Amino acid sequence: MISEVIAEDKKQAFLFCNEAIVRGALEADVKVVAFYPGSPVSEILDTFFQISEQFGVKMEVATNEKVALEIVAGASMGGQRSLTAMKSVGLNVASDTFFSLGYTGVNKGCVLVFADDPYCHSSQSEEDGRFFAENSFIPMLEPSDPVEAKMMVKAAFEISEKFGTIVLIRTTTRINHQSTVVPLEPLNRTDFVPGKFRSYNKKYSTVGSKARELKLKMLERRDKIKAFFETSSFNSIQEGSSPIGIVVSGVSYNYVKEVIDKLGINPPILKLGTTYPLPTDLIRKFIKHLEKVIVVEELSPYLEKHVNVLAKDYNPGLEVIGKGSGHFSEALEYNIPIVYNVFNQVFKTNGDSNYDSILENASKLKSILPIRIPVFCPGCPHRATFWALQRALGGKSNEIAFINDIGCYSMLLLNSMIYPKLHPDDLLLAMGATLGTGSGISLASQEKVISVIGDSTFFHAGLPGMVNICTNEEDVVVIILDNSVTAMTGQQPNPGTGYGPSGAKKTKIEIENVLKGIGFKNVVINDCFNARNSITPFKKALEGSGPKVIISRGPCALWNDRNKRKRGEKIQPFYVDNSLCRKCHTCMRDFYCPAITMEEDIKEFTDENGKTWKGYSSHISPELCDGCGVCSIVCPYTDHENRTEKDVIKPFTRKREVRHDL
Amino acid sequence: MTCGVGGQGLMLVSNIIGLACAEFGLNIRTAEVHGLAQRSGSINTHIRIGENVLSPLIPYGEANVLLGMEAIEALRYCEYLEKDGVIILNDYMWHPVQSTFKRVQNPDEKYITFDNIRSQLEKLTGNIHVIDALDLANQAGHPLTSNVVLLGALARVEGFPLTLEQLNQIIPKVVPQKAINANLAAIKLGYNAIK
Repeated sequence: MISEVIAEDKKQAFLFCNEAIVRGALEADVKVVAFYPGSPVSEILDTFFQISEQFGVKMEVATNEKVALEIVAGASMGGQRSLTAMKSVGLNVASDTFFSLGYTGVNKGCVLVFADDPYCHSSQSEEDGRFFAENSFIPMLEPSDPVEAKMMVKAAFEISEKFGTIVLIRTTTRINHQSTVVPLEPLNRTDFVPGKFRSYNKKYSTVGSKARELKLKMLERRDKIKAFFETSSFNSIQEGSSPIGIVVSGVSYNYVKEVIDKLGINPPILKLGTTYPLPTDLIRKFIKHLEKVIVVEELSPYLEKHVNVLAKDYNPGLEVIGKGSGHFSEALEYNIPIVYNVFNQVFKTNGDSNYDSILENASKLKSILPIRIPVFCPGCPHRATFWALQRALGGKSNEIAFINDIGCYSMLLLNSMIYPKLHPDDLLLAMGATLGTGSGISLASQEKVISVIGDSTFFHAGLPGMVNICTNEEDVVVIILDNSVTAMTGQQPNPGTGYGPSGAKKTKIEIENVLKGIGFKNVVINDCFNARNSITPFKKALEGSGPKVIISRGPCALWNDRNKRKRGEKIQPFYVDNSLCRKCHTCMRDFYCPAITMEEDIKEFTDENGKTWKGYSSHISPELCDGCGVCSIVCPYTDHENRTEKDVIKPFTRKREVRHDL
Repeated sequence: MTCGVGGQGLMLVSNIIGLACAEFGLNIRTAEVHGLAQRSGSINTHIRIGENVLSPLIPYGEANVLLGMEAIEALRYCEYLEKDGVIILNDYMWHPVQSTFKRVQNPDEKYITFDNIRSQLEKLTGNIHVIDALDLANQAGHPLTSNVVLLGALARVEGFPLTLEQLNQIIPKVVPQKAINANLAAIKLGYNAIK
């Protein structure tokens, strides 16, 4: 909660880790922040979004992670403490600039928080970003909980200034998405005083001979930081009584501590918080007299490889237990049961917890459960767009190649069975990749290519692909799903939204103007909530050859509903008039709104021509319905334009309450 | 462990508990679900309170209470409940779109029922409290206070480390001004719903 993040008079607060990171940055007197949202770090942006103005922090919601990193690096060079945060795949996007910054260094404290996502809770790949640190020679700290995350953010600013380099804080989803009671320190904010870039007399250029010179300096810097980390309080050796030791970092530390309590064992533990450069003297000292060492870390064997290398010289007989030995997996995230099972085996403790049988029993009980997969919200513009697109395809579904991208519409692939004509699980790679891969498929294969991309993704990574499609006259139909915000990550504004932090007005970039500027002719704009009217433009776009662009426009339901509530407008649900419903299920088929379910009992209805319709009616849950009214457009027995008493699906009032203006 | 469907207000429940823990000197760790799964998906929050708690995730078979805001989702996380643990089960079903998809293919293949779920959960424990939270929330003055009704029921469970009075002190700090009374009424109705 914001009031906890900014509390001045408290000694401790209940904070979400992403809030604790913000608090740490505020306590460190951060002056400039920039982000592109991405789970699991979006709430760092969201929190700053609400408070940046109040604390005199200059904030930008950047077009992508690379720009965000460049903004904070530039701000540091310009004399301000700065911070950015991104998800692991965001660091991929930023990596070009990132590696150069390893060479050039920065000026004032500059911190980059990046989060890996073991288990792919909301990412397309399970990367281990720790190798970015090793590859870039940029120091990295790894917290194991929100308390440490806050401490490390503060320390990172100091380290950054001491050694003149950006500092990484590496988290994982289970770190970012946990809450606990966090000690607070005073905020002690100072006024914003503009820096003097030229007066610092520092150079940040790297190429050729300059780069070769900087590389050697960077290695020297690495060695100095390593020596500094040898005595860092973020690393600790906890003495124990067994010849089997534990090396651990990050969230796994919590699992290790609880498991050794459960099993009643007392092994020595080396907890590492500075994971690049590693304090190798400390590790060496720790492993020297051990018989075995268990390395507990999620994802790749990063620490494990270093322990193996050090053991070769300092304790060749050491048995290293981890991923190489087959005890731990390089996939997915860990928990207490996973660590418990390995420790129980290695320490031969005969522990009485039987997690496997609990899981087995539960899985029998759960055999009756239906699946529940995330879907478009009630009122989502995408549902209307894809209903119309499926209609437009008719029987041609095998003649098209549908290319998906990153955003809420990625959920299509999870629900491919309910979008049978699109085959939306065929291809989805990365932000903006729909355009390049779409071009490639159109060159290589005979299908008509449809590439979909959201508005935020369009600005983030879509522009080069769009320019490429235009100049090369690719035979690709691009559908831009413009819902006005970066919806999936929590409806943050993007360049097309028109406002920024604390609601301040920003220049709204119109997508159609961008397209016109690139050189696309005849850009079609669909009002996607007017779903039936979208079918013909889709059909036309699929005819002929050459690049075509359709903007399918309608605001994100979550965002729009929030705005409606702020404006004091009621959200008016629709209902199915059961006395008229023909039980044809059209409102469900190909549409599948979470607010619409099928009734449990068979009902009958005789129409004015004496025809009897028997079956299960549909039902709209008023507490879930968002009032978009698209189901009433889909319904063949509703005249949505004139709205009469004979309509099957009706709003509780006559007026259609869908707003397209923003 | 609390569970339900994205959008039901689980986060408010863990927030009230967490703030109360901070206020009254208890150690707490929670693990929450954000992002993709929130879109009408299955969600849960791990809540662990106690001196030696470090892991944000509850180990299987060690949750004292399973609070199901939606019945299907209560069964989905049943592996977390300890032997003979307490289940607070909202008498509410939200059928997934994927089930409606199946019914459109075959309309006579009905949705799973509340009783189907309950009988599975009864194989795990005899301590199930079924609460019609929506009904009590409406009585309290606002249908969206179902989550706080269930929090009230949780406060009644033996061994739960926070009292109703302590939770009552936190509620005005986290809900909008005009919703304070409805939420205070809701938590009380929930508390009294368990004998």
